[in-house]
Amino acid sequence: MLSYLLGRIFSLAMILLAVSVIVFALMHSVPGGPFDERKGRLPPAAKANILKKYGLDQPVWKQYVNYMSHALRFDFGIPFQRPHTTVAKLIGKSWAVTVQVGLCTIALAFTLGILLGIYAAYHQNSWVDTVVTFISSLGVTVPNFVVAMWLILIFSVSLGLLPMGGWGSSGQCLVDRYFCTDWILPVVAYAIAPMSVVARYTRASIVEVMGEDFVRTARAKGLSEVKVMRKHVLRNAQIPMVTALGTEIPNLITGSIFIESTFRINGLGKYFVTSTLNRDYPMIMATFLLVAFLWGVLYLLTDIAYTLIDPRVRLGAKSLS
Amino acid sequence: MKHPKSNPMSLWSRVRCRNRWLVSGAMLLSAFWVAPTGVSAQSLPSDAAPASQQVLRVPCDNTRNEVTFDFAVSVYQRYECVPDLFQDTLVDLDKDFNVIPASAESWSVDASGKVWTFKLRPGLKWSDGSALTAYDYEATFRYSASPSSAWDFTWFYSFIGAGGIKNWSKVIAGDMPPSALGIRAVDDRTLEVETEGVFPPLPGVMKFAFLLSKKALEEHGPYYNNDPDTSVSAGPYVLKEFDPGNRIVVEANPNYTGYRPARLKRIEGIYMSPATFFTAFQQGEVDTVPYERLTPADFKVIQSDPVLKDNYLRHFGDFRTDYLLFDTYTAPFNDVKVRKAFAYALDRESIVKNVYGEIKAMPAHSMLMPGYPASDTKGALKQYQTYDCNKAKQYLADAGFPNGKGFPAQEMWLRGEGPAMSAVYQASAASIAQCLNIKIEVSNKDGKVYMDALNAKPTQLTLGAVSYGMDFLDPSNLLGIWVSSGRHSWKNDEFDSLVAKASNLVGDDRKREQMFRDAQKILVDEVGGVFIAHRWQGDLFKPYVQGDSFRTPDSNGISGKHWGNDWYWSNVYISNKK
Repeated sequence: MLSYLLGRIFSLAMILLAVSVIVFALMHSVPGGPFDERKGRLPPAAKANILKKYGLDQPVWKQYVNYMSHALRFDFGIPFQRPHTTVAKLIGKSWAVTVQVGLCTIALAFTLGILLGIYAAYHQNSWVDTVVTFISSLGVTVPNFVVAMWLILIFSVSLGLLPMGGWGSSGQCLVDRYFCTDWILPVVAYAIAPMSVVARYTRASIVEVMGEDFVRTARAKGLSEVKVMRKHVLRNAQIPMVTALGTEIPNLITGSIFIESTFRINGLGKYFVTSTLNRDYPMIMATFLLVAFLWGVLYLLTDIAYTLIDPRVRLGAKSLS
Repeated sequence: MKHPKSNPMSLWSRVRCRNRWLVSGAMLLSAFWVAPTGVSAQSLPSDAAPASQQVLRVPCDNTRNEVTFDFAVSVYQRYECVPDLFQDTLVDLDKDFNVIPASAESWSVDASGKVWTFKLRPGLKWSDGSALTAYDYEATFRYSASPSSAWDFTWFYSFIGAGGIKNWSKVIAGDMPPSALGIRAVDDRTLEVETEGVFPPLPGVMKFAFLLSKKALEEHGPYYNNDPDTSVSAGPYVLKEFDPGNRIVVEANPNYTGYRPARLKRIEGIYMSPATFFTAFQQGEVDTVPYERLTPADFKVIQSDPVLKDNYLRHFGDFRTDYLLFDTYTAPFNDVKVRKAFAYALDRESIVKNVYGEIKAMPAHSMLMPGYPASDTKGALKQYQTYDCNKAKQYLADAGFPNGKGFPAQEMWLRGEGPAMSAVYQASAASIAQCLNIKIEVSNKDGKVYMDALNAKPTQLTLGAVSYGMDFLDPSNLLGIWVSSGRHSWKNDEFDSLVAKASNLVGDDRKREQMFRDAQKILVDEVGGVFIAHRWQGDLFKPYVQGDSFRTPDSNGISGKHWGNDWYWSNVYISNKK
């Protein structure tokens, strides 16, 4: 197990290295630089100065080496969009908010999604199943910014029930600036798509397991439906569910520009887009490395979770064939 | 409010009168001006809400890339929702765009016409109580011109040619030290500005003479205003809270002694997606929305609601014109007949009516929007650029492409436009393509890619669409961008000569204006560009947001928050109707 983990960590490091090379090369190959202007060009002397200030006057390979040598010490540079702070501070501050949004969304989406999936599976082909399937299909296909605008129009503008955003600024909170009324709409809007995915995967996994011989045997043995469900169905349905759900988590905790900008959440999501548009090289690199790191870690955790769910899975065991 | 369309003749005759006055204002009145002395704190009008309720909430765009509050640090990346509140410029503009005193109480020019002396008001102070002096202005200009600052507006003082500050180009190029700049503090209250040549509109250009605190700049660097602890203001407001991307709160500056003391107690800038500005306005979370953040659907709601309609105040804005540009140095656009074909194939009226909406634009037949000095208020230039598809086809046939046959397929570039302007340019391309039976594909490029291609010499942009608004109110500005050394790949020696001579002409305002008119005629007739529309701009206000600066019409009958009227921010107040 330990050697497996070490191997996976080494592999993750290699992936991050590959991502850094690819992203660095791509962002420097895109036309337009960070200090090109909308109206007039900077004078050559000023341009030379600013390029020198940020080390952009060096050959690209040297810039890469410089960047990575600093990044290894967690110094990701100065964002061109916020020159009075550092990338690490900016990400630290904005990501904290995004993680709050993400965790609330995960809690809501996964709880509702699993419950709906189980309910639909147990009432397979009934009208309940049809409704859940329809809603989950809709949730996956309708973009979250459309959902967001509809929620605002209905619950804020028409009914006046909920604030239209601000993330903790409404003053109507359960604890200090946490769990506020202005959290409700963004979390619901953000949760609908992952909830639909979770519901669909849960339903499919459970329906498949419910058709297995061991479930029929358990029922034949006279076990209660609750026990059949808990001990046999859910347990065996967990692996495909965990596989599907694991991929949703990195998406949710790195934010969405649409949700954050629509609901006035000062999070990390917008920087994925604005960094690219503004050719903010340090932020582009940092955000991509963060995402790659999160995906790598989440995949690793998912694999570890397999061993906990299903004792038959042994990480690092040699194949028998 | 008088509606500008209700009596066009009356409007244009007033505009004509105003134009003469404007030019002469720029040239004569601005050459020696003495302001009324004495500045008293602004009291609230009788219909105002109590002082404690004087809070204006404005929406801020959370998708913009902004880094500073200070014009002198960055022009294009400054916090735009609460602009330029921590300092006053040397001069301001009134509702008719006449130059009026701001930090400078008077100015004069010497016999050479190149050395301007600005006298600061007595008793100007920073919010920390220290004196504001001419040395602060001198230090600010030196900071901005220094290549190490990489200021994004350096182009401006080079662009205005004779009006450029002496040695500006050499200093920004690093060939001279910033101390060699033609900006000198003679004493605490006297600032000298020496220009490269004679430039009558110079006082108007000093609208951009914003300042930084010399002391704060030296102690904390250029971003000192981004932190309430180090921020120091010489404007009507001081920074109270700042959470970038979330919230900006400024409060009235208790130590302010300048020309625009605040009526409001506080301004709150609330960051949100531009898509939700109008919704937030409807929800009562903000008190105003600028026109560029209103969608066609929002305009429909506004026009159908009498209260909203009365409180959407339309104005000239920065006299912005949307147009098509060409690389006229290479085929096929090196043939003026092809360009004329494009000019006559564009159905401007239909595009304004059906795509912009008439509340947002008027058809353009030239570069200068009616109302701007030297503009074509009589419609004399309409004959050169108007929709006449048969004529367009004939010109294209004369150029060797009968019924569009053999005309190369074109790609028309857009500069990272949003959905509304993309639709305008798509419609423009479709109008031309349909009339001429040619192919034009519209490609919306990233802004930086577009500007790189446009600025490249030779240009890499064969056909493009773009807009331009004024930087200062003089024809030399909006016509100056068309001279052959400017941003466009079009050259006409007579046009260049007329613009250059008129820009520097002193003492004969009628002749100067006529020269600009002649230049514009050449631009339109030779089709340097195809002009689509002039944009009406505007703002939507809550009915309780009041102030003469935007509620009272100007001499053309146009209300609204006029471009460059920095005194708006001290004139606005909350009425007791809230």
